[in-house]
Amino acid sequence: MTDNKADNVPAVSMSGVNKWFGDFQVLKNIELNVSVGEKIVICGPSGSGKSTLIRCVCKLEDHQQGEISVLGTELNDDVANIDEIRREVGMVFQQFNLFPHMTVLENCTLALNLVRKKNRKEAEDIAMSLLEKVHIPDQAKKYPGELSGGQQQRVAIARSLCMNPEIMLFDEPTSALDPEMISEVLDVMVSLAEEGMTMLCVTHEMGFARRVADRVIFMDQGEIVEQNDPISFFDNPANERTKLFLSQILHH
Amino acid sequence: MRSGIKSLNTASNTSAPPDASLSHRIKRNLFDTPFDSLLTGVCGLVLAYLLYQIVDWAFLSSIWTAEQEPLCRDASGACWSVIDARHRIILFGLFPFEEHWRSTLACVVMIGTIVASCFPWFWTGKKLSVLWLCGFGTFYLLMHGGLFGLSVITPEKWGGLALTIFIFAAVSLIGMPLSILLALGRRSKLPIIARMVGLFIDFFRSLPLLTILFAAAVITPFLLPGWLQGDKLYRVIVGFAIFFACYQAENIRAGLQAIPAGQDEAGLTLGLNYRQRVSRIQLPQAFRNSLPSIVNQFVITFKETSIVTIVGFFEILASGQAAYGTGQWTQHYIEVYVFIAAIYFVFVFSLSRYGAYLEKKLRVGHD
Repeated sequence: MTDNKADNVPAVSMSGVNKWFGDFQVLKNIELNVSVGEKIVICGPSGSGKSTLIRCVCKLEDHQQGEISVLGTELNDDVANIDEIRREVGMVFQQFNLFPHMTVLENCTLALNLVRKKNRKEAEDIAMSLLEKVHIPDQAKKYPGELSGGQQQRVAIARSLCMNPEIMLFDEPTSALDPEMISEVLDVMVSLAEEGMTMLCVTHEMGFARRVADRVIFMDQGEIVEQNDPISFFDNPANERTKLFLSQILHH
Repeated sequence: MRSGIKSLNTASNTSAPPDASLSHRIKRNLFDTPFDSLLTGVCGLVLAYLLYQIVDWAFLSSIWTAEQEPLCRDASGACWSVIDARHRIILFGLFPFEEHWRSTLACVVMIGTIVASCFPWFWTGKKLSVLWLCGFGTFYLLMHGGLFGLSVITPEKWGGLALTIFIFAAVSLIGMPLSILLALGRRSKLPIIARMVGLFIDFFRSLPLLTILFAAAVITPFLLPGWLQGDKLYRVIVGFAIFFACYQAENIRAGLQAIPAGQDEAGLTLGLNYRQRVSRIQLPQAFRNSLPSIVNQFVITFKETSIVTIVGFFEILASGQAAYGTGQWTQHYIEVYVFIAAIYFVFVFSLSRYGAYLEKKLRVGHD
């Protein structure tokens, strides 16, 4: 996969993507190119399709029209393709989705064992180094239910990073957290961004967007309404809907 | 979170709740008002009287050995002589007398296998398969014979406790894997599989166990070719196992339904395939979620093994009836039933306690 960077293949490319839930169209003509190393923040009102969009990138949702390619491989119904892509794409969920019946360490080593075929020692070394990166190596033997929300979300990030993904997707990673725990998760995400990870984040943390995003995308009613670099996006939004949304979330 | 709470508590120097001592609680709960004291006193007396009656019947005024049987006619207590004289019939049924050691050993092996599979160390597909194949194979070899100079004893001579344990173990062994397949099948994304499995489960759940056992024993010989029929006992066990699996499948399915969709999605995004997600993420959580009803199904099944009497097998209850059914022992059926009840109790109570222990153990890390 490393040769993709040299060949300048986009990390993610979507063209003409349409998706419906029943009769309701959730994605309308999505055109999006994300280059390797780029950090994208996607925001928008609830129900605007932003979560669905990034869930399509790792094929947790099927799109019905258009093309999605990840690291040069097209997402279609070919199962081998999908597995290959999922291994290169990490996903962090709003509700953490840690496996409650496994310790933190087992959560991290599971896929290393089963998918990457690492032996136990190798897998634990990798897992511990990533738990150190998210600052919770001392919690390795605990179960998720014994940790705070912020700690659980950091474990979830470490678990994804264990697979050494090329792209990380974040689906509202701080929305289920108590306010005092948000920054510990954002700090981890910032340091990940500084290391050059390709990131697509659905989030309303506008401070985070200003600090790390290369591009901020605003979605409403299934469309990409506006996209720009963070300074222009926040200071000079072009679209009325963007202005309204920003005024609603920033002026409190 | 836990350490956080602890440090907050010590910082604000909150004290522990007042420690309610036993004597204090007894006084508060039982003797708070004169009426409470009266009620406690009356109930206590009634309980003590009943307890004395039972102890007197079972121990103080009872006769214990077979030789003392003539004394039974005048004794006011239990005549345990019947157990002393007839316990081999109860435990082994029609199994040939000089081979009873084989039946005993087989029971010990099977109980050992069941107990061993209760230890979490054995909880992988591979270890459980090996354990049960060995345990069950040994049991079968000992009971059936035909190898290593053991004489052949066909299943229609099996009986008593050994038969009860055999049926329970065989039904569990066939039924558990089948129930997992049925539960997964009913949740299949392919509508045709989901529908067919659903129909299969609902069909067998709509029939009484008795009907299924009768059909297995009496009707299937007309339907199946000779080489597929096997012994009547095996057909009855397969029928019983299907019945068990249909109920257990619904218990497991309930456990699967309770798992949030995000769990499977997390497995998907880590690149796990279907088999890995099922065996590592879904089933362990499903078993945890529906543990009480899964254990309950085992308890019911152990007791329902007595129904095979109807199709002509002498499991422990029927053997018991045979044990008091002759000559001098006919009046002492109560003692026989108490003895059999005690055996059932030991098995079923252990099973329930084990279930309770598991629930406690598995709650680790669950909020």
